[in-house]
Amino acid sequence: MKDNNPLSPHIQIYNWHISSLVSICHRITGIINITIITLICFWVSVLLLGNSNYEVIQNFFQTFLGKFIIIFTIWSFSFQILSEIRHLFWDLGFGFELKISNITGLLVIFGSFILTVFIFILGRS
Amino acid sequence: MVQINLPQNSKIQKGKYYKDKTGSKNIRKVNIYRWDPSNQENPRIDTYEVDMDNCPSKVLDLLNKIKNEIDPSIAYRRSCAHGVCGSCAMNMDGKNGLACTKPHKEIDGDINIYPLPHLKVQKDLIGDLSTLYKQYESVEPWLKISKKDDTKENLQSIEDRSKLDGLYECIMCACCSTSCPSYWWNGDKYLGPAVLLQAYRWIIDSRDEDRKDRLKKVADELKLYRCHTIMNCTNACPKGLNPAKAIAEIKKMLITN
Repeated sequence: MKDNNPLSPHIQIYNWHISSLVSICHRITGIINITIITLICFWVSVLLLGNSNYEVIQNFFQTFLGKFIIIFTIWSFSFQILSEIRHLFWDLGFGFELKISNITGLLVIFGSFILTVFIFILGRS
Repeated sequence: MVQINLPQNSKIQKGKYYKDKTGSKNIRKVNIYRWDPSNQENPRIDTYEVDMDNCPSKVLDLLNKIKNEIDPSIAYRRSCAHGVCGSCAMNMDGKNGLACTKPHKEIDGDINIYPLPHLKVQKDLIGDLSTLYKQYESVEPWLKISKKDDTKENLQSIEDRSKLDGLYECIMCACCSTSCPSYWWNGDKYLGPAVLLQAYRWIIDSRDEDRKDRLKKVADELKLYRCHTIMNCTNACPKGLNPAKAIAEIKKMLITN
């Protein structure tokens, strides 16, 4: 009989909070970042094969998709860094009050976009 | 294991619609999760039109009104109605809480009521908490002292006593544990915020002599470290406690001790 009982709905009905949103994004950007770091390693190895390879990728980065990927990468890293700083403070035992954790969560979200713009502009000049 | 979709027998169907018979102009729709163990049907959502002019302020009052006046077959747990016993924990408006302390005025639009998330449903809004109680038993929530002198008081300084503030108030309503995604995916192994807060309550008690063993027992990749500080527990706690902080304190003690 026990196995026949239904499971009550969970993620389908539960509200998102700032903290849960930042938490899942932290995980997703973490996975994306490790993929991107691997790809960057491949890119660097490909450079050893000569000039033409460099140009192919350089041209790709000039396209819309290429630029989008660059900006997305910067955001992904910015988010991870800020969220990780928040985690470090938690590990020290600070910032668990609901109000403070909501504020730091929002700081991570908005800060990641600001940091993205900042790094992008810094990288272009 | 992460299992986003509900199993086949748990998919929710459209249920019955109970139209208002009082002719009141102040009507709210209440959607309630229903499952009857006596037949093989899937769970369903029944909708009730409730006359809000003659309804007291809390969600539990609303449920009582529906049970008394509209549909007596609906099942839910309740006892004290004052936020002390923790029986009426359920999911209202997408957030766990106690029905007896949650005003329905705080909910916009239709009122959606579900059982606590990711539990085996026994009937309607009643979920099976036996796993959680077993886990609670596993942290041995009682004082362990060696001396058998019953004639003297076991004194505690004011500072030591104040360490239990924010922990002893826990009523084990399971709002926090069932709000935790980590507990949804690893509920059989991960202890969950409610039980870990209780574990910390005994670890930090100055009268207890079993601190080292307690810490050793809880220091486990699955039992403790499945907590990723998602903070749903603290958001859900109807008593305003902070299980996330308690878990972090255990982690900190394990490093520093």
